[in-house]
Amino acid sequence: MSGISEMLTFLALPFIASVVFVLIHAYLGVHVLRRKIVFADLALAQLSALGASVAFANGYDVTSPAGFAYAFVFTAIGAALLTLTRNLARSVSQEAVVGILYVVATAATILVVDRSPLGAEHVKKILVGNIVTVDVAVIAKFAALYAVIGLLHWWVRRPLLSLSSERGPEGRSRLEVWSWDFVFYLSFGIVVTSSVATAGVLLVFSLLIVPAVIGFTFSDKLSFVLLIAWSAGIAASAAGLACSYAFDLPTGATMVTALAGFLVLASLSKVFIVVDAERRRARLQRAAQTAVVAAFVCILVSSMWLIINPSGDQPLLALLERATGLGSATFLSSSEGDTYESAARDIVRFQDEVDRLDAMEKSARYQGPPLADDEIRRIASYQQTFNEMTRGEQFVRNVLQTKARTRERWIIGLPAAIIAIAGLGLSTRWFSRRRRGEGDDHSTYDSAEV
Amino acid sequence: MRAGLRSLVIAAALLAAASASAALRVVATTTDLAALTTAVGGDLVIVESIVPAGIDAEAFESRPGDLDKLRQADLVVRIGLGYDFWLDALVVRVGNKRIMRGGDAYVDASAGIPLLEIRGQGVVNEGGHAHGVGNPHYWLDPEYAIIITASIAEALVRRAPEHRDRIVANRERFLAELRTRLQKWSEALAPYAGATFIAYHNSWPYFARRFRLNVVGYIEPKEGVAPSPAHLARLISLARTSQVKAILHEPYEPEETSRFMAQKLGVPMLKLAISVGSMPDARDYLALFDYNVATVANALRARNP
Ligand SMILES: [Zn+2]
Repeated sequence: MSGISEMLTFLALPFIASVVFVLIHAYLGVHVLRRKIVFADLALAQLSALGASVAFANGYDVTSPAGFAYAFVFTAIGAALLTLTRNLARSVSQEAVVGILYVVATAATILVVDRSPLGAEHVKKILVGNIVTVDVAVIAKFAALYAVIGLLHWWVRRPLLSLSSERGPEGRSRLEVWSWDFVFYLSFGIVVTSSVATAGVLLVFSLLIVPAVIGFTFSDKLSFVLLIAWSAGIAASAAGLACSYAFDLPTGATMVTALAGFLVLASLSKVFIVVDAERRRARLQRAAQTAVVAAFVCILVSSMWLIINPSGDQPLLALLERATGLGSATFLSSSEGDTYESAARDIVRFQDEVDRLDAMEKSARYQGPPLADDEIRRIASYQQTFNEMTRGEQFVRNVLQTKARTRERWIIGLPAAIIAIAGLGLSTRWFSRRRRGEGDDHSTYDSAEV
Repeated sequence: MRAGLRSLVIAAALLAAASASAALRVVATTTDLAALTTAVGGDLVIVESIVPAGIDAEAFESRPGDLDKLRQADLVVRIGLGYDFWLDALVVRVGNKRIMRGGDAYVDASAGIPLLEIRGQGVVNEGGHAHGVGNPHYWLDPEYAIIITASIAEALVRRAPEHRDRIVANRERFLAELRTRLQKWSEALAPYAGATFIAYHNSWPYFARRFRLNVVGYIEPKEGVAPSPAHLARLISLARTSQVKAILHEPYEPEETSRFMAQKLGVPMLKLAISVGSMPDARDYLALFDYNVATVANALRARNP
């Protein structure tokens, strides 16, 4: 299969869309982080969803001008509320107000949708969103809209940025503060409302926050922050889209994970790479020490868990078994082992039978002589039987596995626990002696820096 | 509006209760079962459904009013197979043994139905979506209405033996009409036997079997999870090789992906009624098939006249 070209034709549009999204969202994210209102996008998006549902309940199509007007008016109301609550922020965090706004808007949407059930589809769409299915017209529309908003923000960058800064509204009249805040929230609301419907709440939230956080990790200068945020956002989107295609994963969730991965990489490189050699060595050493201790703790905990409850889930042991190929069968007598393996084969065989019957029934739906109801019933009862037999074999496997684990408990669990305890004791002693011997200068100036 | 409707229903109920000896109050979980119960019970019954028209019964959240409905119910009719699993909790809350599993006022309409796609999993899969036992969308085979109405009629007779003849006559009349229409539906779709489709959700195996259609794939790979691009790419190449004629879409599911697929493949996206009332034209059980059959037949005729 022409894998790469297929992938490119499929992912080109979503990638362009995510670039467009990253450019505006990472920039707005800078404001949002500085204003400490990271959930405002959710509140505004939910308010516009409420507007759309109200429009729907009143008999307008969600995509009609009236539907859009409703959504816009509700977003504007949200923007006004956020503007007016800036002063409240002295006694209560504004984030609390944002949270309340979000929850109330969501609840109201549920109530409105309950009155006009067919509107539920629209609300569902806002929550899910799928960037894969975006088309050229939509991207062009977004690009134009974001360009207008971007230009507006460039034009009035001075008041907008200073109002988002730590210093706040000093030296400005209340009216002036209110109008700039309103401009900010309204444009912000319009952006997230449009993007959420295409990309979904999760992805929009991540695009807003994560690149900006990455930017602030490395710099405080706005132009650098933006440059870093944009590159990181675009790179993470590309990585997320490619992974989603390659590993057959839902796109939005994969992109969110990719963004988070870039954040982790950025923090790691901040700690280990963007420092002088001396400090890097000390930090790497300390990281290695922590990893060794953590590994011993993991081994200790899971060996204790194996000893206490051998029939429970043993995630680390299962991982080890899969990695070494030494399954539970190793700890069974040869006849038990045979039963264990043959049960596995039978499960596959029975499920193949179920699938074969399924395929037979499915093809008889539209070709050849149709199956009579009684034949369908017979197939169903065969499948039922095979499924029950599968469950039986599964049960046999579980019993034998528990048996094996009960033996492993002393053969593996006890030695592992002893090794882990010894390892923990030795390594912590060795590390602390080393640290004392190697000089205190690193640790003091490290902890002061971190 | 709903309150108005309800008071109207209650008024009608009082009136009926006063005039006739007693109209049976039937609560059906879905609008389809409500429509079939009305067809069998005629004016002997007052039927309410729990899931409103056009709502995904598999993702339904019940409300206090549903308890009221069940409290006054003389008969409960459900889809079963875990499709309306939330009914069990409601009935336990009401505490009336007669409308519980095994009670004489309880009808599981899936009894006796030849089921498709039997799976050995628990009743409810992950995501609360119930295809774990078998495919639950069996009311979309119109011929199964014969079996479903038999179960309903039997239960109605059990509750009101004095009306046996009327119930039987109602059912016969309904089935006669159903058979005439079934003839017409089959004729309308007969030229397109084997036509291929892609559906959003796996709702159509029974419909496909009855009218000899072939649904080759589903957009929704797992219920409630957005499809991955790789899945869509596979689906598109599958659709091209099997020459898919249209995308079938359930009205309450998000449209983007279905529309996207339809665009990529250059085929129409058909919104079909998955239950009575989920499309404006699907006013009752027979109208649902009138609408679905006509929609599919028209689309196929337009593609190869
Ligand atoms: Zn379903």
